[in-house]
Amino acid sequence: MFEGLVALVKGMLTTGREMTSPPVTYQYPEVKKPVPPRFRGRHELKRHENGLEKCIGCSLCAAACPADAIYVVPAANQDNERYSPGERYAATYEINLLRCIFCGFCEEACPTGAIVLEHDYELAYYDRRSAIITKEQLLVAPPKPNMGTPRVMPDPGNLYAAIPPIKGGTEPVNIVEMAKAKQ
Amino acid sequence: MPNVTIDGQTIQVPAGTLVVEAAKPLGVHIPVFCYHPKMQPVGMCRMCLVEVGTPRMDPATKQPVLDENGAPMINWMPKLQAGCATIVSEGMAIRTTTPTVVDARRSVIEFLLTSHPLDCPICDKGGECPLQDHTLHYGPGKSRFYVESKFHNEKSVPLSPLIMLDRERCIQCARCIRFQDEIAGEPVLGFADRGRGLEITTFDDPPFNSNFSGNTIDICPVGALTSRDFRFTARVFELNDHASVCQHCSVGCNINIGERDNTIKRITPRENEAVNEIWLCDKGRFVHHFAHAEERLTTPMIRADTDLKPVSWYEALTFIANRLRPALSEGGAKTIAGLAGDRVSNEDLYLFQKLFREVLGSNNLDHRIGWSQWNAGQELVKNFGAGVGTNLGELGKGTTILVLGADPQNEQPVIRLRLAKAAKQGANLMVANGRVTKLNDSAKQSFVYKYGEEASFLFGILRAFLDGQLEKSERANVDANFALGLNLSVADYAERAGVNADALQQLAANFALSENGIILFGREFMFAMQNEPALEAALNALVVLSGHFGNKNNGVIALYPHNNSMGAFDMGILPNGSAGRNALQDAGMSAKDMLTKAKVLYVMAADPARDDPKFRNPGFMIVQDLFLTETAQKADVVLPAASWAERDGTFTNTERRVQYFQRSLEPMQNARADWEIVQTIAKQLGAQWNYPSASDVMNEITRDVPQYAKMSHERLRVTARRRSSVQTVGGDSAEPVQIALGELFGDMSGVQWATVSETNADAKFEVKFIAPKADGNVAANVPYMAVTRSLLDRGSAIQFSQIVQPRVPNANVEINSHDAEEWNIADGERVKITFEMKPPRVLELNAQVDGTVPQGTIAVANNLQGTENLPMGARVKVTKNV
Repeated sequence: MFEGLVALVKGMLTTGREMTSPPVTYQYPEVKKPVPPRFRGRHELKRHENGLEKCIGCSLCAAACPADAIYVVPAANQDNERYSPGERYAATYEINLLRCIFCGFCEEACPTGAIVLEHDYELAYYDRRSAIITKEQLLVAPPKPNMGTPRVMPDPGNLYAAIPPIKGGTEPVNIVEMAKAKQ
Repeated sequence: MPNVTIDGQTIQVPAGTLVVEAAKPLGVHIPVFCYHPKMQPVGMCRMCLVEVGTPRMDPATKQPVLDENGAPMINWMPKLQAGCATIVSEGMAIRTTTPTVVDARRSVIEFLLTSHPLDCPICDKGGECPLQDHTLHYGPGKSRFYVESKFHNEKSVPLSPLIMLDRERCIQCARCIRFQDEIAGEPVLGFADRGRGLEITTFDDPPFNSNFSGNTIDICPVGALTSRDFRFTARVFELNDHASVCQHCSVGCNINIGERDNTIKRITPRENEAVNEIWLCDKGRFVHHFAHAEERLTTPMIRADTDLKPVSWYEALTFIANRLRPALSEGGAKTIAGLAGDRVSNEDLYLFQKLFREVLGSNNLDHRIGWSQWNAGQELVKNFGAGVGTNLGELGKGTTILVLGADPQNEQPVIRLRLAKAAKQGANLMVANGRVTKLNDSAKQSFVYKYGEEASFLFGILRAFLDGQLEKSERANVDANFALGLNLSVADYAERAGVNADALQQLAANFALSENGIILFGREFMFAMQNEPALEAALNALVVLSGHFGNKNNGVIALYPHNNSMGAFDMGILPNGSAGRNALQDAGMSAKDMLTKAKVLYVMAADPARDDPKFRNPGFMIVQDLFLTETAQKADVVLPAASWAERDGTFTNTERRVQYFQRSLEPMQNARADWEIVQTIAKQLGAQWNYPSASDVMNEITRDVPQYAKMSHERLRVTARRRSSVQTVGGDSAEPVQIALGELFGDMSGVQWATVSETNADAKFEVKFIAPKADGNVAANVPYMAVTRSLLDRGSAIQFSQIVQPRVPNANVEINSHDAEEWNIADGERVKITFEMKPPRVLELNAQVDGTVPQGTIAVANNLQGTENLPMGARVKVTKNV
């Protein structure tokens, strides 16, 4: 009987302690819980600083996708109607969020860092059709209103590489020096 | 047969084998870029470097020196050798996995990548690229170069309307140049500049104007040459490949249809060493957009008042039955006629003739309409068709090939490649025609006879046979009048035909004495056969007396215009022949009679109205086709047919090879396969037919047509081995990669049916002489018009392929330079051609004065803008247009 009383007191103590501590629940949707920086929520298609789309329509995300949730139809850029650097862009880009398992393989496969799983997790739909999100929904807003796509770029000659150059790699490498340093 | 040891495994290979080839059966992979098994090695890329050693020989005994283990001691060469350019010798040892070799490969890859852009994600070759694959397998893994340090060049320069060149990506292996040079025989590509500035360029005008240019895309080991049609439409690993057969000409090239989202994205060749090897002409590769054209018929239509209005299948079928039944009871079966195009499959044709012969009770059937109107020589093919197992690409020394009146370059392009290859391998290729064609480039002996004197040409050969006692008459019943009929000397016949008598003698001797002999005859010869009955008898005599029939690599090949012309004969789409090529006693109406005498016409996949402006609806007309053709516009009922990509079936090619093709796409809306439509009509008329699928129809054909016994879809499908599509990036099991790498399979697809001379070894064949029709009412100074054919035309299939439109040539008239001088016409000038016919027809064209036509002849392609329906053999007047 004594043991029973101890247990009761212990239990009541816990209850009392939790009564005074701040609550762990959030008043969602009024209050939103911050997510960790590497949280994998809804995808976004990013843009370069000049507003061009990073996506080059290579379909590697679709190839990497284990759930077959991504559908890409590429097309060729024109100088008077440019979407992305290089020759190719995604004319259609769709993700079926009902199929997506948010594994992030698409992000990993992307050679230009165009697709990023961001922090939006509020993904509910009234019908299945609207779970397929299109390129317009995925694409982030341009850095300035006049930097949208498609547009005519002033210097298309500088835009020919689809894959952006590696930062800091502007100087040609001296192989002889490299070999000496290795030794 | 030298024995070689590769990485410790010994193999015996034929003398003359290259090291890279000797390694393949052992499963040892030697990577290559510039080497291609179909072409001569050049050793340009250095990717195939291996260690090569030869056995150390004792100078005294001339025997290999053995080490203490009893193995021969090897003298390793001090430097690595190119495996693609080294021929194996007895006792040779090869090492492919040593650190030196691995290091050399790594260095070659690194060197190639110094000026190769980082384009893989946007490159159309990505996923089936040998450079990608080899970089993964043999490359350094890490780059010592930044992107900026690479060599840059302007991207994507159009090399031709069909092909895009990216000079940055080129690794300078010269495969494309060598293909055009060695295989296509159209050396229009070349290298310009030197060193890093070296680039592929075309010296041609219009640029890269070759019938085979698309093959350079396949064999390019990088993404330097890409298709402008397929450009950025899908990644190769997203495509589903469906095994199919090309339907543009009678060669029957095996193709893969690369499909995505129920649309054809590209067509690539599927290897078949017996038919097309790994090649495909540009028409087969780029002309497929018609399958998705908006103009396609998608629903049945019936004529209400004056217009065609869309209806359901049920309504259309009831309408047909309600009209056909009274027609049957009124005029009887005699007035009902059927025209079937020879582009549809054997299953369609079989059911079509069954509908007419069994349900409607009519023999009024024909397929010889439009371009197929000159199809002839069915008896020759039935009796002496080239023996089962004949492979044009394997012919070589000991075989004589005689090509009569054909222009395979434009009509059966891949056959031209294979004949040129045979000639290169030592076959004695002899070409005779009324004009000079591209095939003459490869011929050992060529003849230009006078059009209309084909019979004299053959009589000359036969006379030479008799004179030289070269004839073999074991299987011949020679008519007594045969020798008497050939009453002129070889020299006289040669003079009549306008050829050299000695050369004709030589031809006869070569052909008769050759171990194997094959005769190919083309459209121009068939035209002559229809005008001149003596010709078929003479050709028959030539085959029988030469003894070249009934065996592999012997016999005749009729070069028909369409993919299933052969099948139309086999299935009995003829007024006087039933399925199985049996002659019929009560012959029905031929195509020509039908257009005037029939009261009810059922047209399947044919367009007689386009060829004959006077064509009218005979009373009641049913048309089933892909498009609302000129005939369909006049019809009472129009039924939408499925394209070849939307259903399965079989085609029989010009070598009598029956090949199965898969269904690649869903049918467009309400379109149905032709056999299915015929079946529903038959059922509507009360027939108890039950064919759930095309293979059920084929099963009946195997029972009903003796030649097609054992040719069920199951069996044909096994021979049409389907390769998996490219599934993973850099995968090495996929076919396009294999083609690019040159790792070929000895794949034979399709089954040839055996001819009478093969199935019945004791059969004897009649040899008769038929006197030629007296000719001579035509003045010699009136030019003869030969009708030629352009590969890319203004036809209904091609007009939907925007990409090939710039390649369709403008019509012009070829004139001999002597004639041009006489008529005072210069090259490129506008000329007026007046036909001696009623009503008079006048044609205005640009003159092309060159050496391809003899004096007294002009040649015009009749499938180009403004030159439709030209009559072959018309006598014309040519004047300068002022």
